[in-house]
Amino acid sequence: MNIVNTAILDPATGWFILAAFSALWVTLGWYFGRKTDELDDYVLAGRRVGLALGTATVMATWVTSNTTMAAPQLALQMGIWGMIGYSLGSVGLFMFAPLARRIRRLMPSGYTSGDFIRLRYGNTAWRIFLLISLFYSMGWLVSMGMAGGILIHALTGIPYHYGMTVILAICVGYTLLGGLRAVIGTDFIQALLILSGAVIIAILAIRQIGLDTIHASVLAERPELLNLLMPASIMFLFNNLLFGIGEIFHSNVWWSRAFAFREGVGMKAYMLGGVLWAPIPIVAGFIALATPALGLNVPAADMVGPMVAAQILGTTGAVLVLIMVFAALSSSLDSLLAATSILVVEDIYRRHLKPDASADEMRRATARIIVGLGIATWILCAPRLTTLAELLYFTGAFVASTIWPIAAGLFWRRANAAGAIAGMVLGSVAGLYSYFAVGFYVAALVGAAVSMTIVITASLLKPATFDYADLQELHPREITPVPGGST
Amino acid sequence: MIISTTAFTWLVGIALVLTMAAPIILLTLLVRDSKKGQLW
Repeated sequence: MNIVNTAILDPATGWFILAAFSALWVTLGWYFGRKTDELDDYVLAGRRVGLALGTATVMATWVTSNTTMAAPQLALQMGIWGMIGYSLGSVGLFMFAPLARRIRRLMPSGYTSGDFIRLRYGNTAWRIFLLISLFYSMGWLVSMGMAGGILIHALTGIPYHYGMTVILAICVGYTLLGGLRAVIGTDFIQALLILSGAVIIAILAIRQIGLDTIHASVLAERPELLNLLMPASIMFLFNNLLFGIGEIFHSNVWWSRAFAFREGVGMKAYMLGGVLWAPIPIVAGFIALATPALGLNVPAADMVGPMVAAQILGTTGAVLVLIMVFAALSSSLDSLLAATSILVVEDIYRRHLKPDASADEMRRATARIIVGLGIATWILCAPRLTTLAELLYFTGAFVASTIWPIAAGLFWRRANAAGAIAGMVLGSVAGLYSYFAVGFYVAALVGAAVSMTIVITASLLKPATFDYADLQELHPREITPVPGGST
Repeated sequence: MIISTTAFTWLVGIALVLTMAAPIILLTLLVRDSKKGQLW
C-alpha cells in the first residue's frame, strides 16, 4: 500500500482553473439575469421556465458535490448497495413530479414551501416546518462549502479556507447578479460539464483497470463490499430513499422550481431529471471500488473519489475532476442560496417582520439575504467539524418527518394540523434518537415511519375538511402596488 | 450473496450508457424549446 499525495495539480494551475470558471459563472449569471428587475423574475425566473432548462436544473441541482464525493465514499464503505442506495435518491424526484404539477395549479402566486404549510396547517406547524427547513438548508450549504474547500485542497494543495471562500464568494456573486434566472441558466452549462466529466473519468477508469480486475480485487481484499445481503447497506438503501424524498418534498429548492416552471412543465421536468440523475451515483461511485486494485491507502473516506480519479488519470484527470466538482458544487450552492433567500424573505421578513412589504422591498431584501447566507455559511464551514456524509445525514431525521405532512396535505383533504405538527416533532425526535443509538443510516427511515403513523392516525381520528381554494393568495404587487417597478 | 462479475459489469455499463445519453437529450430539448419560444 502506498500513501498518495492527492495534490496532483500545483496551486498555480488550481488558481487558474478556479479563476477561469469563476469568471465564466459570473459572466453567465450577469447575462441570464439582465432582465430580473421584477420580484418574480428575480426569485422565480419569471415563472416561465421551459422543459430543457427545467430538466437540467433539476438534475444539476440534485448532483451535488455529495454525489460526486460521497457516492464514492459510500461505495467504499457500503459497497454495491452504497452506490445503488445513493442512486435511489432519484425516487424523490420521481415522487415529487406529481406534487410539482399540483403545487403549480393550487398556488399559482405562491413563493415558498412555507407558504403551503402556513395556509394548509396554520402558524404552529409553519414555524416548526421553517425551523426544520432552515436547519436543513444551512446543513446543505455547509456541506457544499466544506466539500468545495476539501476538494480544492485535495486536488491542488490550495488551503481549505481559500478554496471554500472562493466557491462561496463566486456562487453568492452570480446568484446576487441574476437571481433564479442566473441559477437555472448556469445549471444547464454545469449539467453538461458534470455529465461529460463523469463519463470521461468512468470510461478511462474502465479502460485502464477493467471492471473484471476491479471486481476481482475487491473480492479478494474486501468481499463484504460485493455482498448483496450486507444488512447495514440494505438499511442504508431504504434510509437514503426516504431521506431523498424528505429532502425534496420539504425543501424550497424544489418548491421554488415548481413555482418557476411554466404550466405543464413541472411533472415532465422532475420525471426526466430523475431518469438522468439516477445513474450518476453509480458512474461516479464505482471508481472507489478500484482502490484495492490500485493499492491505494485512503486517509479520509470522503476524499476517495478525487484521489482515485487523480491516481488513474494523472494531471488531466485532476483538472477534469476539479472542473466537474466545481460545477456540481456551484449548481447546488446557487440553488440553495436562491431558494433559501426567498424562504427567509417570504416567511420571516414578510410574514413576521414587515407584512406590508412591497414586491420591490422583497427583491432588495432577497439580495441582502443571499449575501448574509453566504457569510453565515463561511463562518460555519471554517472549523471543518465533521465528515461530509455525517453532516449530510444528520439532517435526515428532520426532513423525513416532513414527507407525510406535505404529501398528505397536498392530496388528502382530511389531513389535519395536529397530525402534521406531532408528525414533524415526534418524527424528528425519533429519527434523531435512532441516529445516535443505531447509526446515520436509519435516521430518515425511523423519522418517516413515526411521522407517517402519526399523520395518518391523527387525520383518521379527527379529519379536517380543508378547502384547497384557501391556498390561493394575492401576489405582493396586488397588495401593495409599486410605482416604477424596479430597484 | 456476492454480486457476480457479469452483474457488476452490467450495472456499471447501463449506468454509463444512460449518463452518456443525458447531454444529448438535454441539448435536443434545448433546441426544441428554443424553436418554440419556450426556453424561459
